[in-house]
Amino acid sequence: MLFTVAWRNIWRSKTRTLVVIGSTIVGIWALVFLLGFFEGQVQNYMGSVIQNETSHLQYHHPNFKDDFESALVIPGAATITETLAQDNEVEAFTSRVILNGMLASSAAAQGVMAIGVDADAEQAVTNLNDKIIEGQPLTGDKKNQLLISQRMAEKLKVKLRSKVVLTFQTAEQEISSAALRVAGIYKSNKRLNDELYIFANISDLRRLAVLPDDAAHEIAVVLDDFEQVESKTISLSENSGEVLVENYRQLSPDLELMNSQIKINMTVMIVIFMLALIFGIINTMLMAVLERMRELGMLMAIGMNKVKIFLMVCLETLMISVIGAPVGIFLGFLTIEFLNRKGISLARWSSALEEFGMSDLVRPALALDNYLMVALAVVITGLLASIYPSLKAIRLRPVEALRKV
Amino acid sequence: MNESVIEISNLQKSYTETAVHVHALRGVDLSIAKGEFTAIVGPSGSGKTTLLNIIGGLDRPTDGTVKIRGNDISNLSDNQLIDFRRENIGFVFQSYNLIPVLTAKENVEFVMLLQNRSQAERDARTLELMEAVGLADRMANRPSELSGGQQQRVAVARALAPKPAFILADEPTANLDSVSTSDLLDLMAKLNEEEGITFVFSTHDQRVIDRARRVVLLEDGKIISDDRK
Repeated sequence: MLFTVAWRNIWRSKTRTLVVIGSTIVGIWALVFLLGFFEGQVQNYMGSVIQNETSHLQYHHPNFKDDFESALVIPGAATITETLAQDNEVEAFTSRVILNGMLASSAAAQGVMAIGVDADAEQAVTNLNDKIIEGQPLTGDKKNQLLISQRMAEKLKVKLRSKVVLTFQTAEQEISSAALRVAGIYKSNKRLNDELYIFANISDLRRLAVLPDDAAHEIAVVLDDFEQVESKTISLSENSGEVLVENYRQLSPDLELMNSQIKINMTVMIVIFMLALIFGIINTMLMAVLERMRELGMLMAIGMNKVKIFLMVCLETLMISVIGAPVGIFLGFLTIEFLNRKGISLARWSSALEEFGMSDLVRPALALDNYLMVALAVVITGLLASIYPSLKAIRLRPVEALRKV
Repeated sequence: MNESVIEISNLQKSYTETAVHVHALRGVDLSIAKGEFTAIVGPSGSGKTTLLNIIGGLDRPTDGTVKIRGNDISNLSDNQLIDFRRENIGFVFQSYNLIPVLTAKENVEFVMLLQNRSQAERDARTLELMEAVGLADRMANRPSELSGGQQQRVAVARALAPKPAFILADEPTANLDSVSTSDLLDLMAKLNEEEGITFVFSTHDQRVIDRARRVVLLEDGKIISDDRK
């Protein structure tokens, strides 16, 4: 009966209740959408970093990243790649040789990071060939071919088939130079990378840097299952001796920073939403209690104890708070699903996003636990909002409440 | 003489309202026996509402004792008073005070639900009471669908539901027309005569005073006269 009374009580003032429920639905919908948008941005950035920079895992010599010394190749790289080739959990991997150097044309010179890649393996890991906007991908047939970015081509004033000179340090600590021909021009979605990376055949760079045929400074790995990254990092580390195995989070600490920043933003938004909802509901329920003082006095007079009065007002508040939650969450879910397929174009800000390597198409997404968190936040809000009006109700003295008009 | 249901001795009540000290009751002694049909009358400010509130356990005396069925309720806590009222006192209010969101049946049933009575017991007693007040055919109607007189009869049925020691009615006819007043008085007189229900009214209404079998006149917080017919 208490439930029935509470339920019927909230519909006494239909307009007021519908306004509260409506605003709750709109609030929850907006909250879910914003959370989805933020989550989409994180995934956009994380996807971009994993796809273009870190892959899921990378192997390095423990000291290689200190100053990118050519001699610091991965010990036992051949054994590692053989093991990876037989690992069912590995979707793709690629070995790289990385040389720090200077690229010069007749017009200008630029500090670069020359990445020696196996074109096919690299394509499987980073889709390098898909970024080529002019010319051809690298092939093993021709020697000393080079891919440079559009931005660098403009800077060095070179075109397809232009010759450029790469100066670098060999594994024997000697400065060496080699002439390379521009086979293709690429454009990625991260300006900073475009200003730094050039790509050549791994065999050419091994030869030029006087490295063994199976030498690699970096092995990048993509796993079948993204969820396995953490555990795989541990298991591969255990089997790789002194070789450093790091996952994308370790390789790109800014990802973690962005993730935690977004999480803080999401929490702040939920708290702001809860506060707005709490005050809205308290206001409405206080009105409902004050309007019914005489009736509450009568209920106490005929023997309804304070616990039951408290529970009744709590139930009413909780109902008015959570009744719109499923609708708001469902609408938010539909919006996110729709926009996830369609994408939200941020083309207007694409040059700014390029600085961070982010796509200008954000696909909102929200994990199930975030939906549950919103639902839980609404219930907690309802419970918190119910306390004050319920206390107000039980503090009434029946003899005074009955006198109220 | 029947056993005493209400036993009041040297009842005093004073309070301060908007900086004015009010001495509402000044030593009231009153005993009401089972089956009495008593009207407490007096001009405004005579203290009759205060007396009724204290008898009903809605307010506490400043001094003196109130015994209901032999139990002193003067010093019970708020929660104890609520429990006591639920089991021992039936209230009929001037403005009916039914729960607007419940049907007539549910209103009558409500207090029995608070007493944790079984569904079968509640159904049987509700039907019995609604028949007694002549509204068995209006059980599914909400208060807004009933006339003032019908609402007050539902309120009487509700007051009777917990089988209280007595019914306390604060100006029960004040909002009723003459026909409804007459019907309600007939009903209460019938319940009093046939089932021995004890009624205590506060009233200004001469029609109620005429029907009462005992009239207690209160003035300035004291009983001036106590007449039995």
